[in-house]
Amino acid sequence: MKRLLYGVLIGLWLAAAVPLQAAGLDEKVIEHTFANGLKLLMVERHTSPTVSAWIRFKVGSVDERSDERGIAHLLEHMLFKGTTSLGTRDYAAEKPLLESIEATAQRLLAERAKGIKADTALIKRLEQQLADLEKQAQQYVVKDEFFDLYARNGGSGYNAFTSKDGTTYLISLPANKLELWAAIESDRMRNPVLREFYSERSVVMEERRRSYDAEPGAKLWETFIASAYNAHPYGQPIIGWMPDIEQLSRTKAENFLKRFYAPNNAIIAVVGDIDPTAVIALVRRYFGDLPPGTPVPEVAVQEERQRGERRVEVIGDAEPEVVIGFHKTALGATDDELFDVLAAILGQGRTSRLYRSLVLEKQLATDVAVFDAPGSRYPNLFVLHATPRAPHTTAEVEQALLAELERLKTEPVTQRELQQILNRLEYEEARRMGTNGGLARNLTEYEAVTGSWRFLTSYRAKIEKVTPADLQRVARNYFTRENRIVGTLVKKGTGRAAP
Amino acid sequence: MRIVIYALLLGLLNLGCAWGAERANPRSMNFPPLSFTIPKTERVLLKNGTPAYLLQDRELPIVTVSALIRTGSVYDPAAQSGLAQLTGSQLRGGGTTALQPRQLDEELEFMASGVESTFGSDNGMVTMTSLTRNLPRTLELFSDVLFSPRFDEQRFEIARRQALEALRRQNDDPKEVGDRELTKALYAGHPLGQIPTAATLQAIKRSDLQAFHRRFVRPDNLIITVSGDFDRSQIIHQLNRSVGSVRPVGALALPTIPAVPTNDKPAVLYAAKQVNQSVIRLGHLGITKDDPDLYAIRVLDFILGGSFTSRLMMEIRTNRGLAYNVGSHFDVGRRFTGSFMAETETRADATLKVIDLMTGIIKGIRSEPVSEQELKLAKESIINSFLFGFTSPASIVLQQARLEFYGYQPDYLDRYRERIAAVTREDLLRAARRHLRPETFKLVVVGDAKAFDRPLSSIGTVQQLVLQ
Repeated sequence: MKRLLYGVLIGLWLAAAVPLQAAGLDEKVIEHTFANGLKLLMVERHTSPTVSAWIRFKVGSVDERSDERGIAHLLEHMLFKGTTSLGTRDYAAEKPLLESIEATAQRLLAERAKGIKADTALIKRLEQQLADLEKQAQQYVVKDEFFDLYARNGGSGYNAFTSKDGTTYLISLPANKLELWAAIESDRMRNPVLREFYSERSVVMEERRRSYDAEPGAKLWETFIASAYNAHPYGQPIIGWMPDIEQLSRTKAENFLKRFYAPNNAIIAVVGDIDPTAVIALVRRYFGDLPPGTPVPEVAVQEERQRGERRVEVIGDAEPEVVIGFHKTALGATDDELFDVLAAILGQGRTSRLYRSLVLEKQLATDVAVFDAPGSRYPNLFVLHATPRAPHTTAEVEQALLAELERLKTEPVTQRELQQILNRLEYEEARRMGTNGGLARNLTEYEAVTGSWRFLTSYRAKIEKVTPADLQRVARNYFTRENRIVGTLVKKGTGRAAP
Repeated sequence: MRIVIYALLLGLLNLGCAWGAERANPRSMNFPPLSFTIPKTERVLLKNGTPAYLLQDRELPIVTVSALIRTGSVYDPAAQSGLAQLTGSQLRGGGTTALQPRQLDEELEFMASGVESTFGSDNGMVTMTSLTRNLPRTLELFSDVLFSPRFDEQRFEIARRQALEALRRQNDDPKEVGDRELTKALYAGHPLGQIPTAATLQAIKRSDLQAFHRRFVRPDNLIITVSGDFDRSQIIHQLNRSVGSVRPVGALALPTIPAVPTNDKPAVLYAAKQVNQSVIRLGHLGITKDDPDLYAIRVLDFILGGSFTSRLMMEIRTNRGLAYNVGSHFDVGRRFTGSFMAETETRADATLKVIDLMTGIIKGIRSEPVSEQELKLAKESIINSFLFGFTSPASIVLQQARLEFYGYQPDYLDRYRERIAAVTREDLLRAARRHLRPETFKLVVVGDAKAFDRPLSSIGTVQQLVLQ
């Protein structure tokens, strides 16, 4: 079904963690940095007369303050609503109404914050006033004009997503229409107007109900991630908890926007049937005079070392699941690639150790996945997820998973296992060059998170140096009881299944 | 590196001259023309008459080969629902005559080659991917999977148990419940409405998989596609040796599948789930690809529920904030009658309000012509984005094979854009009146009835579904 969904990226749905490099990518990427700090990466591909353009901002939910949880994602939605010239019939007439709406919403938020002491009659009046004002403002709105402009010009896959680490806006267009992208996207950066804020906040609440509240597996996931972090904001869900979303306002969204959406915090990738020289000129013409802003500061908070196993359970109207995590390093840190190798040995393909042991031999589980989450810019988790097969319990599955981790500490992995991973990387390097969107994704993501897209091209050489002893060392140091978080989904009415 | 420096120099040279240049207004921009013609594939016949579509593309050292097989779950005996699905998974999963499943897994994964097989409702696909240098061996394994599968007993038993576990989990996600129950209701009494149960899965034996395979996976019942980095004469030679040398045994005898029975009785189906958001699905049977209204329906789909500014999306999501996901879609049938389905999820206390909105919006598109602007936007979007169906060689050859497989008119793709362009507001209204019949909708609601804004019985007699 052709439908546009604003995705909240959660690690669980991402394919496992092995980054992919590309033979020849070194020669194919053309890089340009503009005076305002905007970074442009390009690859020419003439397979079809199409082009994919991705803009990634180096700001995600990890950059939110505690009273802003959910704002990075809600702002992503809001940036589809137009600018001072697009999405409006008359911005001058619309503006004062938008200001009244926000003033009313602020009063409403303040009154609701009083809890049981709140004046319920006043809340009712303010709600009505807000609804009336929003209705009035509708007369000026040209609904989703960005979408219509892209659609009539043959745009495909117009979307955006927010992750812990970043926010990305993407579109593919017929190659002759790239200027439309430049015009719309530079306007979106220069003159955004966050109109229709409070109805969009309701949409996000529905998104939350749909993707988390009514899905026990997703509920387990967010509970599990939250329990892994005491201090670091990686623990908070990208979409925000429902009470967080209820506190979000246009004022907060605008503050976040002003703080972070600057050209020096953005990376653009344009891949496809292009002339790079012309693209540089085009991007300069449309984005070149955007003023630089303050770089996104590093999240200074570091999670303290965990001092003992943490266990969480979610009781839901669904069959059991089990997820196990261990704290580990960030992407690009020393030793981090060792976890990728371990993830592949444990979980990639039908010959992987967990698939062989839990799915084929013991038949305790129907699926096993190994990946890292919830982000990659800061130290994250090495995660094992399994679906038990009845009548086997989450406890049995957990024991079997841990037994395979113990084996990694005592027995060295084989050269054949390592060679298989290298062969796979060689294939993936080629495959990932095969779509405009895939390349644009990789270039923006690795440039943003590791500081350079060249991470991709130096990756295989790193893996070639990995020894069985390295892997044993990391397994011993990290796969310990005190560093472990275990989450289980327990079917309602079946009592506790965890040991 | 050389190119990077070159680019930087160019950047410096350009500095200044483009700075103050004028920016265009997206509302009135003009673009250089772009003509797009569908890339040509080559169709060859292998020695045994099996057609193969070839499209060479040497950008990357990868080759993809697929077999599109006339089979599917429509051929499942009612008492063995799930047979096609298990045969599809075990064709590859169960090893080959020459290789135990484990040996096949190891050899493929060590080469970073893939062979995968799945059977859907009205077709089956086996696909191999490989680095160019591993093509000869991977192609042999692909052909062994197709024509000499082992159907290893132990792997089959594992697959059956996995299918049973999936059954146990089929009610975990309320959205999945809604989709499934609507499909069952629309296609009641037809193989397309059959869903496997524990009993039907238990009734399947290894010999049934073997017989199902023998019956359908034959060189005179499939089409091969090849794309990527290959040498033409070499690949034809290799295909003739592996696929082209297989002789069909006996005459091809495909069972006749009855047409989908018409089913115009409205229904209100309710499944209880303690959730704060209701899943709403509604619809009825639809059209086939040979319907003269096909192009009008494509345009209608965009306007009614298929785009981000569709009527359903605009009213229920954008204007009212009542849903994140809302839309509708005509699934155009290729061999059997297709369907029209509309879907959304909304907070429990807005359930009935949203059902009313959806049916009202659908009725609205039958009552008067769409606006000129709606028609223009829909047509331009479909026509201008047409080329995105042809961005990878693998998708282009597969598309060609599917045209032959499903018996489309040979000019279907070539004339698609002009036929869309010819659709008028009157065509749309006529098509909407003919193909949307709200009084016959079957409605499925999954949620917590206690929290609804109105009883479901206010719409019609409620049949409670028992989830198991």
